[in-house]
Amino acid sequence: MENYLDVLSALILFSSFALVANKRIISYIRTFQLQACLIALTAGIMGVNSFLKEGKIDILVVCAIILILKVYYIPRLLHKTYAGVEYKVEKDFFLNIPILIFICCFLVLFAYFSIPTIGGSMAGNVNIQVVNSFSLVLIGFFFMISRKKAIGQIVGFLVIENGIFITAMFSTHGMPFIVDVGVFIDLITAVLIMGIMVTRISDQFETIDINQLKNLRG
Amino acid sequence: MAIVIYITLQLVVMILLAPLVNGIIKKVKALTQKREGAPVLQMYFDLYKLLKKSSVVSNVTSWIFAATPYIVVSSALTAALLVPVTTFASPIAFPFDIIMMVYILALGRFFMCLSALDAGSTFGGMGASREAMISSLIEPSLLISIFTIGLASQSTSINDIMLAMQSVSLPLLRPAFTLTFIALFIILIAETSRIPVDDPSTHLELTMVHEAMVLEYSGRQLALIELGAAIKQLVLITLIVNVFLPHDQFIAYAGISGVMLSLLVYLIKVIGFAVLIAAFEAGTVKFRFFSIPNLAALSFILAFLGFLQYFVLGR
Repeated sequence: MENYLDVLSALILFSSFALVANKRIISYIRTFQLQACLIALTAGIMGVNSFLKEGKIDILVVCAIILILKVYYIPRLLHKTYAGVEYKVEKDFFLNIPILIFICCFLVLFAYFSIPTIGGSMAGNVNIQVVNSFSLVLIGFFFMISRKKAIGQIVGFLVIENGIFITAMFSTHGMPFIVDVGVFIDLITAVLIMGIMVTRISDQFETIDINQLKNLRG
Repeated sequence: MAIVIYITLQLVVMILLAPLVNGIIKKVKALTQKREGAPVLQMYFDLYKLLKKSSVVSNVTSWIFAATPYIVVSSALTAALLVPVTTFASPIAFPFDIIMMVYILALGRFFMCLSALDAGSTFGGMGASREAMISSLIEPSLLISIFTIGLASQSTSINDIMLAMQSVSLPLLRPAFTLTFIALFIILIAETSRIPVDDPSTHLELTMVHEAMVLEYSGRQLALIELGAAIKQLVLITLIVNVFLPHDQFIAYAGISGVMLSLLVYLIKVIGFAVLIAAFEAGTVKFRFFSIPNLAALSFILAFLGFLQYFVLGR
């Protein structure tokens, strides 16, 4: 099982790099969906394992919640928000993509060197899964600050959340059920509020744009 | 004596199989577009017809133009000798031959660029400059991927790497090899002018790279260049399938029957990989030329992360 989890953690890291390399908002959402699928798969493997070993089904329930919430509902919500605001300009990053990717690579190196310095029972130990999933958190933060448009920042926030969730999964192999559910409810509230805010912001900007057009004409 | 047989076997398999891979990719792409498409063996017919024709050569070209088709096809065949189709019959193996393979293929590409400039047409110059840019972007990630698999198997000879990978159980379930595999797949797509980088099926002047370079060739010379490109593609496919999906450890027979069975499994793997390439090509669109650095950076970082994961895990 550890082999599968190692590979899945590497693939989740790869999906976050693919997210950074994407240019279009539609493909952010699609890559986020892929990442959520991989996370659901990880939770599914852990869930089946804990079900066979200890007879617990709570991780399988978490897996089902991820499938419904992150693979289906949130991407649909983002697509809807995107259709509502319809940015015509797609280029919304500050640096060019190769530089963004290289900076993310340094974040992974940073995670690799900083994880062993954390104290506690794991001190001095490099766990590849924790390194990969912790770099996901850092890449999510970086993604958020590197994008100009609000939808990109929502996706960045969701990546941070994915990273925190998957770090917890990899380091504890299953948190208490109530904690997971609480995190999901927080997440869905945050996404709803941000979706509303994006619509509001775009309303504001559109009025500004229209005024400028009138000034030029007049 | 055995080595002569092995070399003959390797060359025959490579030359005969290379056009088939192109045919399969074209057929699968046609099927995804709900067309019937050309027959799978179409490239053999094309090559046969082209080989019968004489070639038209511009009178301003130098010896480079005449020599390039032979250099391209012979460099591809030399590289093919270094990548054994089955480890039971590996023709040539010596230390560092994996790096030599990369640069023998680069030699063929160098002469392609020179001959494209030689005729003095604008398309040739454009294609050559694009090809030089793509290859210089892709080369670092190719070398880092190679160093990762070389480091993991403690060798720099392709045959030894393949033998070492046979003792690893399920190589694609190791993070280092998974990431290197994805990086090598992107490299393969870029090196063989497949869709996100270059479109092999059109002659649109805005986008073509490989087609722009061979625009001046005709007849027998064109046949040799096309065959060289097909062999180069098969060499890279062989490297990927035999390193990451080794099969020779499962074959219990020795001697000729073992080699035959191994070749059969190899054929199935190559066909499967060709279908994978075609599916990838059908599912993506061509990138803008200035987006190719993004793809190259992604493949470089994947190769580098694979390297890092190998160091962290130590296996």
